[in-house]
Amino acid sequence: MNNKVLHYILALVSLVYGQDLVAQDLLTLLDKEPIVQPEFTLSTFKGNRLSLGHSVETRKKGALEFTFMSRYWNTTQENSNSFIADRVSTRLGADYAITDRFTTGVGFGLSNGIVDGYAKYRILRQGINNNGSPIGITGLQTATYRSESFNNIEERDDFFQKTAFTTQLLIARKITQDFSLQLSPTFVYRSSSRNINDDNTQFAVGFGGRYKVAHHVSIVSEYYYVANELESIETFGAFALGVNWSVRHILLQFSMTNNPTFTEDSFITQTRKNFNFRDGNFFFGFNATYFLQL
Amino acid sequence: MNRVVLISFLIVSMYSNAQGLEKVIARQGKMSFLSYTSVENIKAENAQVLSFLNPNTGEIAVRVLMRAFKFEKSLMEEHFNESYMESDLYPEANFIGRIDNYDASIQDTHTRLVRGDFTLRGITKPLEFKVAIRVVNNIIYVDGNLEILVQDFDINIPALLSPNIAKKIQVAFNFDYTPYE
Repeated sequence: MNNKVLHYILALVSLVYGQDLVAQDLLTLLDKEPIVQPEFTLSTFKGNRLSLGHSVETRKKGALEFTFMSRYWNTTQENSNSFIADRVSTRLGADYAITDRFTTGVGFGLSNGIVDGYAKYRILRQGINNNGSPIGITGLQTATYRSESFNNIEERDDFFQKTAFTTQLLIARKITQDFSLQLSPTFVYRSSSRNINDDNTQFAVGFGGRYKVAHHVSIVSEYYYVANELESIETFGAFALGVNWSVRHILLQFSMTNNPTFTEDSFITQTRKNFNFRDGNFFFGFNATYFLQL
Repeated sequence: MNRVVLISFLIVSMYSNAQGLEKVIARQGKMSFLSYTSVENIKAENAQVLSFLNPNTGEIAVRVLMRAFKFEKSLMEEHFNESYMESDLYPEANFIGRIDNYDASIQDTHTRLVRGDFTLRGITKPLEFKVAIRVVNNIIYVDGNLEILVQDFDINIPALLSPNIAKKIQVAFNFDYTPYE
């Protein structure tokens, strides 16, 4: 009698055990089966621009973005009756992704008369889980035309003298899902110089990073070091500390910075203020980007 | 004597479950989800879902890669992976369960209930849904749909966007199982 009960219990136990084995078996099989993995890391940064300058990111094919960029600052004069800020500088731009790796854009500075255009190509994309490249590299080429004199650096006799070109290699790595860093060796060529002591070609290195603090919010910072600064005016490295908020079709970028311009050749080589919170030095930046899929 | 019977019974019962009909696999299972609200509809499709079915027991296991969901708008795909699913951290969703009263000999379309555990973003919840099964030329077709509650899986939706994303996400799938070698 006792033996029979034992029989049943053991039979039951072995049945359950057997089932578990099968379930386990299926899971093991599933894990063993190759699944098509994505090749490249997604979202090293969340926009075409980090804060001041470009990021390693490009948009996917058919993406059209409209960008409104602005800076607000106060002059050093003691008494001011300006509403909110004494000065404002804006740029309107459009960016279009021709392929997943190739993005172009144009822009116009409403208050400084700078017309700009750029092309950006993803040379190398960071892989996933230590497969493929450990870093992503994007090449950027910009061209700008100053329709108005800005810092009186260039000669202004003909069209070509008012142009400048920036070549950048944006090298970035998404280190953790929240933290990414970017290093950008930069070469700026200005077509003319009023002062013989100013180099037409300047070399700089940009440092940038983002830290994701919430699902849609990240803190970003950028700094540019210039190796051969201008001699005719005193310049400082461009710096920005900001917050990027990206949700749905909109990317909002808020920043604190030390310059009022939006094009690489201007803010990298011609930032005239050091970063601090005093009137005249402190610039508040606000960018809004609207995304459309064509 | 009793002991020998017991041990042999144990061994036989273990093996009998693992043998019999071959396991079948669906390598390019299709799965789509739809978030339907009055403000906007968000849709995504995945054609690389992996699934195993054990015709002896009706057990079913599914593996879904989050990055394989394709959206109409590329930016939505980025947000989905980066801000909602956190695909870097939780690259896959899994389901392990059993088709109730599964009978491999029925060829015509018939409906069965599936019960099991669904794991998304590291959170496991029991799930129950109906599937339609039919067999044509030794291929087992299983399709069905189910609903997933956003709040069950700790998916962070900003208050501003709560009108845009449905509380219940409609998921539809169809898997074609062929013998697994």
